[in-house]
Amino acid sequence: MPVDKTPAKSLRIERRARRARAVTITVDGRAIAAQLGDSVAAAMLAAGEQIFRTSPRAGTPRGPFCFMGSCQECAVRIDGVVVPACGVPVSDGLVVERVAIDDR
Amino acid sequence: MAGAHDSVDVAVVGAGVIGATIALFLARGGMKVALIDRGLICRQASGVNAGTLTMQMTRVALIPFALRAHHMWATAPQWLGHEVGVVVCEGLSVAFTDGEAELLAERAAKRRTAGAPIELVDGARAGQIEPGLSDQVKLAGHCRVDGFANAYLTGIAYRRALVDAGASIRENTRIVAAEEGASGYVLRAQGGAMIAARRVVLAGGVWLQEMAAWFGQRLPIKCLINQLAVTERLAPVMRTVLGIASGLLSLKQYPHGTVVIGGGWQGIGDPVHGPRAIVPENFLGNVRLASHTVPRLMSGRIVRAWLGLEAETADALPAVGALPGHPHVLVCGSVHSGYTSGPYIAKLLAEQMLGHAADLSLQPFDVARLIEGANSPTMPP
Amino acid sequence: MTARFEAIVIGGGPAGMAASVTIAAAGHSVLLVDEAAAPGGQVYRATFPGLDAGPVQGDADRRLGDAWRARLRGSAVQVASEHVVWEVGEGFRVSALGSNGSVSWRARALVAATGTTERVVPFKGWTTPGVFGLAGATVMLKAQMTLPGQNVVVAGVGPLLAAVAYKIVTSGGRVAAIVDLSSASDWLGRLPAMATRPDLLARGLMWMARLLRAGVPFHRRSTISAVHGAARVEAVDIVPVDGDRRPIPGRQPISMPCDALVIGHGLVPQTDVTGLLGALHRFEVARGGWIAERDGNFETTIPGLFIAGDGGGIFGAAAATAQGELAGHAVSRHLSGHSTAGEIGRLRRQLRRAQRFGGAMAELMALRDGQVDAITADCVVCRCEDVTRAEIDAAVDAGATDVNQMKAWTRCGMGPCQGRSCGDVAAAIVGLRVGGRVVAGKFTVRPPIRPLPIGKLTGRFDYADIPIPKPAPL
Repeated sequence: MPVDKTPAKSLRIERRARRARAVTITVDGRAIAAQLGDSVAAAMLAAGEQIFRTSPRAGTPRGPFCFMGSCQECAVRIDGVVVPACGVPVSDGLVVERVAIDDR
Repeated sequence: MAGAHDSVDVAVVGAGVIGATIALFLARGGMKVALIDRGLICRQASGVNAGTLTMQMTRVALIPFALRAHHMWATAPQWLGHEVGVVVCEGLSVAFTDGEAELLAERAAKRRTAGAPIELVDGARAGQIEPGLSDQVKLAGHCRVDGFANAYLTGIAYRRALVDAGASIRENTRIVAAEEGASGYVLRAQGGAMIAARRVVLAGGVWLQEMAAWFGQRLPIKCLINQLAVTERLAPVMRTVLGIASGLLSLKQYPHGTVVIGGGWQGIGDPVHGPRAIVPENFLGNVRLASHTVPRLMSGRIVRAWLGLEAETADALPAVGALPGHPHVLVCGSVHSGYTSGPYIAKLLAEQMLGHAADLSLQPFDVARLIEGANSPTMPP
Repeated sequence: MTARFEAIVIGGGPAGMAASVTIAAAGHSVLLVDEAAAPGGQVYRATFPGLDAGPVQGDADRRLGDAWRARLRGSAVQVASEHVVWEVGEGFRVSALGSNGSVSWRARALVAATGTTERVVPFKGWTTPGVFGLAGATVMLKAQMTLPGQNVVVAGVGPLLAAVAYKIVTSGGRVAAIVDLSSASDWLGRLPAMATRPDLLARGLMWMARLLRAGVPFHRRSTISAVHGAARVEAVDIVPVDGDRRPIPGRQPISMPCDALVIGHGLVPQTDVTGLLGALHRFEVARGGWIAERDGNFETTIPGLFIAGDGGGIFGAAAATAQGELAGHAVSRHLSGHSTAGEIGRLRRQLRRAQRFGGAMAELMALRDGQVDAITADCVVCRCEDVTRAEIDAAVDAGATDVNQMKAWTRCGMGPCQGRSCGDVAAAIVGLRVGGRVVAGKFTVRPPIRPLPIGKLTGRFDYADIPIPKPAPL
């Protein structure tokens, strides 16, 4: 497990864009720096978190795919509800958990 | 009679679990069999029901049949030759109110008398049997003979078995009329195809009424439109089959993690147009009842709801046996909770047709009792 | 309590915004239901509050999106954002899940403006994190201002290839390669149609010039045959294809290092609403697949049910807007019984022009048998349930003659995406074996048309209030 998965260079597009302020969310207990205006999926990707779930039969890693709320590959649990992370804006202190189904 | 190209010993009309079982045993018994369906094999009730194999939703008169059928399902790989994803587990029928507890006690006693090994347990004991259960349960019927199948695998399992047995499967073949011929009957399909058969079995579920009419008989069949729903794969939330005293809930989690919610809440549809729409209020009621019973369901998502048509006769017991005046036209169907009991009842009828001795009588379910305006029963009382 | 409107519009993209504004302008009560935080759909997607994407000049999509959102705000349209429609029943009863649980509305007319999902034809390694849809990448880049990677391969077919690559390059990212299924002659053949929109054509040429200047390698008539890397994208294999877009056997793939792949093979109309209501559909490959039959007024075979935008067949955002306005006028006529303003002629001309361009692009992207045929046996087709091509073929071998029987026997399409990611391609695989797409059919639409969180649906309730029907017979 790498200590810091954040890529050296940011995936956030800085050119022209203005972001209101930095916030912090937690993903499975790990604090992640985010920017207001990010989706949860974008914030996680920018922090180097590419794996959002594990597929049920083959056990392969999965991450955001369609980015339009349709494919459900980025579904995470927020406030007890499973939702696609690509459509949920971050807010300070937001608690995100990955959904595990394979602990039978 | 002209134009009958195709000739079989038995034509079974209706490729649900009952028709498919009859066709399978007849084919294995050496008969030339055609299994005919207006759609695809096991795509109606037999493929879309909740898969529950429970005694606690079975009618008392059917318990002896259901117990034997349960054994058939549990051993499907041996006699059917293919997996239907059957899980044998314990079952609980729960009561949340005093009224439900009273109903439960009365129903469990009658089913126990008929042979179902149901014991009453208190809420605490029920919680030990099913750790996922709500702590609001007052009383539960506990049955160790319970379980479920993966209903959507019924078709592929039966299809493979039927092909192995040499039965001819005619899907997308809609029979519209039947005529008496010199050596049996000729069935005429939409589009003109003809199938001649010495004997005919009508196994059409909710379409039995229409089928009986081909032979000039009036067999009224009521059509229930049962709503079902399934969650996405979830971490384990339960390990038994759960129901409630009234019978209006069935709940189980499959090994792959999905939870199927059933119980016979009604949607919209009819035998002519098929299933049409869910009733949102009934869907909500069913889901609330399910999540009240297993609170951890609250964190899951429903990915699909659907409807299945279930046939019911005037007295809610099966219709089995020869049509009055047509000793070679046999009916088999409209079995309440028919997925549970169906294979055994169907096997009995097949063995009767093959001239084998049977260990239970189908006489109580003689279809003649249900025929309106029948002159006389074909079998002695 | 079921609130009533004269019309309900489902979907807040270009078609839905235009339809609802037009209906409201004619004096009818109209509700626009949309699952996003703000209307816009995908092409005109709004940023989340807190993110300012910078000056709007030069970004036509954002300018148009902002303009339509402003028109909506200035109209009498009631907008229900963040409401996920999960069921549509008879009498146009629409049930949606919002922050206060499930609500239902009724209307005399319904407009389905539900848009599309993106088609990605499976290939080895396409489930690896770091592989994104091409249309999805536009949302990432434009609405969320996030790069898919630092060194990206952009692949697939259609005008989005250049659009996405251009956006990456001008946003500080690197494009390792553009891999285009189509050939130069595919593009040249469509020049006359493209010339009907000189603005879009000029924009496309500007993108291409910028990409060439950046030294981005173009691989035409090529596809991605594999992604390398277990948990993240490390490289992709690029192979040439034949005229039917099938990889040419025996050709050595070019391995291209990268940290992300964005790929798309066209769009598939979403027919959930028309499917639920039992409207008649037909298969038309050039329009993206199965589409609801509709007349010249965008009315389906269900009276009062209209369909506008790409959900009724792929023609692109510009056509969707014109369709939305025309459908809005048709809905007003349906409701009031008399015709509205005289701008119909202008709109129809505008639509014809937009459809010529958008239609040509849709045909360029239409799925070819060669693409389907090339899916290897061990390749996962249904991402949710890990169902492979071999399992789909085995179900057909076992006697499945349509997609729904195949689904029952494999679980393909039974996962949380409800068949949206795999439905079109899985049907194409079955279709190759059973005599075509019409025979293979389409997945039956079932409610809920989005995964429904149970706790949100049920809300707080008392057991005594559950209307449990009378007991079943004993």
